[in-house]
Amino acid sequence: MTALSGRPAGPAPGTGAAVLQGSDVAVHYGGIRAVDGVDLTLETGRILGVLGPNGSGKSTLLAALTRLVPLTRGRLTLDGEDYGRTPPSRLAHRGIARTFQTVRLLPDLTVLGNIQLGADLRLGRGARLRELVRRTVPEAVQEAVERTGVGDLLDLRPGELSYGTARRVEIARALAGRPRVLMLDEPTAGMNQPERLEVAGLLRRLRDEGLTQLLVEHDVSMMVDTCDRLLAMNQGRPIAEGPPRDVVRDAAVQEAYLGKRGHRAGDR
Amino acid sequence: MNSWYFSHLVLIQSTFISFLLALSIQVPLRAGVFSFAGVGSYAIGAYAAAILTIRAQVAPVLAIGAGILVAAVAGWLLALLVARLSGLYLGMATISFALFLGVLATNGGELTGGATGLYGAISTLTTTHVVVVSVLVALLLAASERGAYGRRVDAVREDPHLAVSLGIDVTRVRRRVFVVSGALGACAGGMNSLLRTTVSPETVGFHLVVTALTMIIVGGALSWAGAAIGAVVFTWLPSVLQFVGEWQLVVYGVVVAAAAVWVPGGLLGLVQDRWHRWQVRRRRIPAEGATAPVADVPADAEQQLAALGGPAAEARP
Repeated sequence: MTALSGRPAGPAPGTGAAVLQGSDVAVHYGGIRAVDGVDLTLETGRILGVLGPNGSGKSTLLAALTRLVPLTRGRLTLDGEDYGRTPPSRLAHRGIARTFQTVRLLPDLTVLGNIQLGADLRLGRGARLRELVRRTVPEAVQEAVERTGVGDLLDLRPGELSYGTARRVEIARALAGRPRVLMLDEPTAGMNQPERLEVAGLLRRLRDEGLTQLLVEHDVSMMVDTCDRLLAMNQGRPIAEGPPRDVVRDAAVQEAYLGKRGHRAGDR
Repeated sequence: MNSWYFSHLVLIQSTFISFLLALSIQVPLRAGVFSFAGVGSYAIGAYAAAILTIRAQVAPVLAIGAGILVAAVAGWLLALLVARLSGLYLGMATISFALFLGVLATNGGELTGGATGLYGAISTLTTTHVVVVSVLVALLLAASERGAYGRRVDAVREDPHLAVSLGIDVTRVRRRVFVVSGALGACAGGMNSLLRTTVSPETVGFHLVVTALTMIIVGGALSWAGAAIGAVVFTWLPSVLQFVGEWQLVVYGVVVAAAAVWVPGGLLGLVQDRWHRWQVRRRRIPAEGATAPVADVPADAEQQLAALGGPAAEARP
């Protein structure tokens, strides 16, 4: 994997040092090669976008990187250290947070409770015991609430939220743990255009503050505008990798992902 | 008051014992673990306390404590054994644990008194002790339902995969739940033996599974308070229902079925729901409407894999 190059506007933020790397990552289910031989590098303060048609293995790749599914083959490193055998629950403690493709909020907790869940792993025993007596909201949670703009909805339950708002609450939950690496699986699915732009803006701001991200999305124009690099996949295999505009113009990508729609790479 | 208390003493004691027994099922259920091992632990506690009191004349705190210790260790071992089971299969495995202990009691020869059981476990345990223990247990469990402790258990129950991604060691939480359930069941069993001064295979049988489950279905499975409501209702219902005579069991069945169908969260869930709605209305927070995708969400790898019958990439509970 090479360092970042060719970001169109201005100097790229972040240091570009490799935080998380996967090499020759493969996940097979019997005869199905859900992910097969993917190499990727997440660099400090940059966004890697993973693009591909339905069933191309994006979500499985994310599950593999977060150790929710076992690798058939390959190697995963975090800060140069192999984490291929680390229990998945330890990864959150090491600063990896993720969201899922579907809304996964706990129905019986309020919005605030759901967001706090993301920060709970940072609480020591003392803080947990104190919370039994006095309701306290950690600073990280307040910050996540402000950033995602869900401050007016904290007492509601997930069932009372619109789909787009529920997804923002999930991003808030992931941010509340103050992760170093954030992996987002279609964070704007089901959102309307203004909401999408808002989320894209938020992700870029977080990137500029140094948060390393992996973004799985369907919205090609959003991916081009938001990501520093793109990795395109088809049928579990990587087909192109590089600066966003180059990747979406790649013939193999056009063929696999956009069909034969020609050069309207920026369109959905 | 005093005469009422003494004439109803057995019922009052039963209420607290049933409360602790119901908790031994409620605690695992709250963590999404469908385990009836608490009933087996009840048998362990009941026999341990009776045997130690009759044969070694130890103090009740030691007799009951020993049972709790044995049941907690048994719970931990059982958790290792059934680590890969969940849902109905886990339920069956833990019921057979309870049945196995019943068989063991029947065939335990002199030690367990066989089918007739043991008599004369006379101790200094009083109703006050039982009440104090129950209150302490309730306080501890109430604390475990608050704050970060409560949220984490909720996550383990509702969405184990999400819990894992949030840094929660789900396996460890489940193991602890088995240990706590074992301790609670044994505590209930031990105290019951010493209050009644007797124990037999009949008193630790399968009916306890039904009793405990009934209590938490009607009371509410997500909180200690649900178990308390259930214990009160089902300990006192028979005496209230005396006038219906032999129709008692029918009324019982109708109450449980009605609760399961119309108030799946139990009486407690009903109250909490109303409370939440009232609070939201009071603060005038507009609900945003039902959760529904604005655009269609594309199916992805997992769903397609699942459709093919392969293992789902991100197994969803």
